[in-house]
Formats: sequence, C-alpha cells, structure tokens
Amino acid sequence: MSLAPAIRMNGLAFFILPSALLFALFFFLPIGLMAVMSLLTGNPVVAPNVAFTTRHYARIADDPYYFEVIWTTIRIGLWTTLAALAIGYPLAHWMARIKSRAGHALLLMAVLAPMLTGIVVRTFAWMALLSDKGVINQTLQSLGLVSQPLKLMYNETGIVIGLVHIYVPFMVLTLTGVIGRIDERLEQAAENLGASPLRTFLEVTLPLSLPGILAGSLLVFALAISAYVTPILLGGFQIMTLPILIYQQISANFNIGFAAALGMVLLLVSFVLVVAYNHVLGRVSGQRDLQ
Amino acid sequence: MSASIEIAGVSKIYDGGVRAVDAVAMDIRQGEFFSLLGPSGCGKTTTLRMIAGFEAPSAGAIRVDGTDITHLPAHKRDMGMVFQNYALFPHRSVQENVAFGLRMRRIDKATIAAKVKAALAMVELTGMEDRRPGQLSGGQQQRVALARAIVIEPRVLLCDEPLGALDKKLRQQMQFELKQLQKALGLTLVFVTHDQEEALAMSDRIAVMNGGRVEQIGTPVEIYDRPTTRFVADFIGDTNIFRGERAATTSGSGLAVGNGLVLTLPASVSAEATGVLSVALRPEKIRLTAAGQSPSACAHGQVESTNFLGGAVLYRIALTSGHRILAQQPNAGTSSLFAPGNLVALDWDPSDLVVLRD
Repeated sequence: MSLAPAIRMNGLAFFILPSALLFALFFFLPIGLMAVMSLLTGNPVVAPNVAFTTRHYARIADDPYYFEVIWTTIRIGLWTTLAALAIGYPLAHWMARIKSRAGHALLLMAVLAPMLTGIVVRTFAWMALLSDKGVINQTLQSLGLVSQPLKLMYNETGIVIGLVHIYVPFMVLTLTGVIGRIDERLEQAAENLGASPLRTFLEVTLPLSLPGILAGSLLVFALAISAYVTPILLGGFQIMTLPILIYQQISANFNIGFAAALGMVLLLVSFVLVVAYNHVLGRVSGQRDLQ
Repeated sequence: MSASIEIAGVSKIYDGGVRAVDAVAMDIRQGEFFSLLGPSGCGKTTTLRMIAGFEAPSAGAIRVDGTDITHLPAHKRDMGMVFQNYALFPHRSVQENVAFGLRMRRIDKATIAAKVKAALAMVELTGMEDRRPGQLSGGQQQRVALARAIVIEPRVLLCDEPLGALDKKLRQQMQFELKQLQKALGLTLVFVTHDQEEALAMSDRIAVMNGGRVEQIGTPVEIYDRPTTRFVADFIGDTNIFRGERAATTSGSGLAVGNGLVLTLPASVSAEATGVLSVALRPEKIRLTAAGQSPSACAHGQVESTNFLGGAVLYRIALTSGHRILAQQPNAGTSSLFAPGNLVALDWDPSDLVVLRD
C-alpha cells in the first residue's frame, strides 16, 4: 500500500536528475577534488610520487601573514555587505512600494543597468574617478576643499567602493521581493495604533524584512570575499585578499596543493559565517524556521 | 471619550481622474453604530481610509468633535481600526499585538499588562497570550484584532469588513458580540460592509453608497422601507420596481406602468405632478389570495415558480399585464401554499409603494 506514493516520487525524481547531475559534476566534484588536492604533496597528474600531507594547512596556521590576508578578505566582505545593505535597503523599499508602473520600470532599469557592463570595464571607470588625478580628486582640489589628493584607490576603501557598486543590484533584487510581500496594511495598522512612520519601520517593516536582509547579505558577502578582478585593479596589489593569493599560488608559484588549502579556508570562512549569521538573525527575528 | 465625526464634502480623485469618492457628506454621531454599505468599488472603503488617515482627501474636510483632522497623520488620530484581513503582526504574540498601541502611548508596563489582560478577557481569549497570530483560527484572529483596536480606548472604532472572512455561524455570533461591545463601551463605530443583512442587523444608521456617492442615509428601517433612490431599493433586499407615466384615477393619482396596469399612488404624492416615475414595492408587502376571492385586487397573475425559504415562501408571479414580480408570504401552513400555474390575486396597501428618485 505504501509503495504507490514511493513509486510516484521516483517518477518525479527523474526530473531533478539533470540538475542533480550538473550540481554533482560542477560543484561537488571540483570541491571534492580541491579538498583532496589540499592534502597532497603535489599534482598527481604530472608528479610520479605524491603522498598525503597536512603541511599546506600547517603553513597557513603557522604564518601570521595568512591570518592577515584572511582577516583583510573578511573585513572587505563585511564593509561591502554593510554598505550594500545601507544603499540597497532604501532603494529596495522604494521599488517595492512605488505605485506607478513606469516608475517601477525605471527603477528596475537603473538597478539592472550596471549589470549589463562587464566588471572590468566598470572597475576601470572607478579608477578614472578615484585615482589621485581622477575626477573626484581634481574636482575637490579645484574647489579648494582638499590640498592633497584623497587616497581613494590602491587601498581597501577603493576595493569596497568598487565591490559595492557591483553587488548592490543583488542586494536590491533580493530585498525588493521580500519587502514587496510585506502587507502594507500591517504598516497601516501600526500607524493606526499610534506608531510614527519611524517606529512603524523599526517595529514592523524591518523585522519582517529580516529574511531578505539575511539572504541579500549572505549573497553579497559570499560574492565579495571571492571577488578577484576588482580587488586586483582597485587594490593595485597593495591589498592582498584570499582570491588574489590563491591565483598567485597557481599562476606564479605552481603550488596547487597550497592554493587548494587556501581555497578550503575561504570555503570554511564563508560556511562558518553563513551558519553564524543565520543563527544570530534567526534568534533576533524569532523566526526559528530560518535556521 | 467617544467622538462624533463630520465628513464635509469629501472627494477622492485618483491620478487619471477616477473619482473614487465624490462629494460625500455625513454626520456620524457620538456613540453611534454607523455603517457604510454598498457594492465593491462604491467608495466605502476609501471613505473609511480617509477617516483613518491612510488616504488624503482631494477636497473637503473631516472633523472629529469639531476639530479639523483632514491633514492630521494617521498615527496622531487616536482611532482604532479592525482591518479586513485583521493585519495582525505575524512576528509578535497575541499579547504583544494587543499591547502595541499602549506601548506607542508610552504607558507604564504594569498598566499595559493589566489593560491587555482585561481586553483579552473581554474578547474571551484568556490563555492565548503567547500564541502567534498564525496559530489562531480566523475567529480568534478577529478577536485579537478587535482587542488590539479597543484596548487603546479610541475615540472612534473603524471596521473594514471585519467579519467578511468568517463562516456564517461564527459571523452571526461576532456580529452580536461586536454590537454588544459597541453598546457597552459607548463606542462611535464606523463599519464598512457590502453585506446588507449585516448592516441592517447591526447599525443605528446606514449610509448606502454607490459610484462614490452617498445614495441615502437613514436608520435600517428607513433604508429598507423608505428607499429614496432606485439603487437603494434594488440593492437592499428583494424588490419590485415599476416605472411608468403619471395618470389620473378615480381614487387619486395613479401610475400607468403599461398594458393597462395602473397603480394607485400613495396619498402623500401630489396629484398635480406629471411625468415619468419609478416606484418600489417590497415582496412581503403583497398579499396573495386565490383568484376570484378578491375582486377589488390591485393586480392578477399566475404563479410561475415557488421558492420555499422555510419561514416564508417566495413566489415569482407573471401578472396579466406581463410584468414579472416577486411576492413573499409567511409560511402559514402547507394548505395555504400556491403551486406553479395557480391563478392568484395580488393586493397591497398603496402607502407601501415607495416613490424613487432615479
């Protein structure tokens, strides 16, 4: 008797097969290979005698330099997430609540337009704006507001500015969906009960949009700590992040095992932060189902 | 604490020129159960939302106890509102929902706890304090919404089809409870509904709205027995509407409605007037007798269909003049029932004919 539903389930399961295969082939397999590589002395494809070792991880743990790199990567990720949230939330709220269809279309276009240009092009555009002889510094100097050019590039500030520009659309689109689903009558009910617009936002809109804040922040954080092009161009190799270090280990040092170990660290950092963030926000909002 | 509301020539015109509410004027008295009744899109909800402050009138003024509040923000109006979908805060418990308005008024915690307890007891939800709205039934959510609105002791309670989502039995019970509560607290209550039975059963006065305008304001009895417009007569209950040319009869003024049928108009209608006129006649004002027993009958016809309603029987009758009308008789026993095909005589008191404005 209980076999019938099971058979039906199996029938449906075939439809999941292509995506399951794709996921296995291009996600679990590479990560599995990377995990194995991080524990090998060399590349088994070209080197004859490879053995298991933990020396790559020991190297990371022993040298404070790598901690510095990891911390820089996380710091850039956090600042980018915070800035994207601060810029993205009001925009998303506006987009979710705008009455006019034309207005909504315009806002959506404005949010999506940056995504139509390549990351490299956009980063170079930021370099033209942010460099010592760039538009911003030239303007400030000619207005007499600063005597020395502001250091806007080849530091973390420049990287964060570039990353925020690239990842704000992800934040906005994620938040717009969640805020749009909040019943406006809940906000009206709060105002009717005597809450000022600010109180209404803090007591009703913000808590109810926490799932969107969570999802958008995780997305932006994960993207920001794994970004490569923008940190290189706007950091000018002055700032070392994990993805840059990994690339150097592969392309310049040909140390694939160490690169794989660094990759595993990056993965672990993301994973730990995702779990922690989920837990904290889930507790704050009281929505246990988020965990 | 209850207040009176004066709505003076209020209009709401949306972008694109749609007149959702058109020069509406009504005086809602202190402690009154006042219903806004009409079909969807008649402007009743928009009117309520303007009273609550969620929409700004395009023209006109709203006054509470004589003070102009037209441009006062919603959160300063001190009005309770029960929303159609209750609009309970899903992320807060029943207790926190009810306490919300008190907390916004910066009342001390002990007082809040006491008042919340009393309000929940009033709506019989004691013991549900820590549940979330999602864990409650529709009727319970409705009570929480009501408790949340009355616990702040508002000057006015606004209800937007609050009983619409409940099944019939629960709905009737809540109608009764809401009415009791309104009376006990002496609340000024503005109630939006499209359900005429609900409005007739609960209201002190009703404003019937159509197309953004007020058609008629009156007590339930006035609205039902003395509708002033064709819309009101048609919208409230079943009704027969005749339209015809004024004509003189032996007994006063009459109305020729076609095919030789002439209705005697009530004595109150001036005999001199001429022209086209519509009159309404409620089905239950008609007395049916078997044909031949009442030679001076107002009209004669044949029963087309019989609709047994339990306490009453509704007949569809084809008059000899070709008009089709409804007549309702109390169920006085099976022997008095007419069957389809029976010839009947119809009688009514001319004063039961109500002259309508078109």
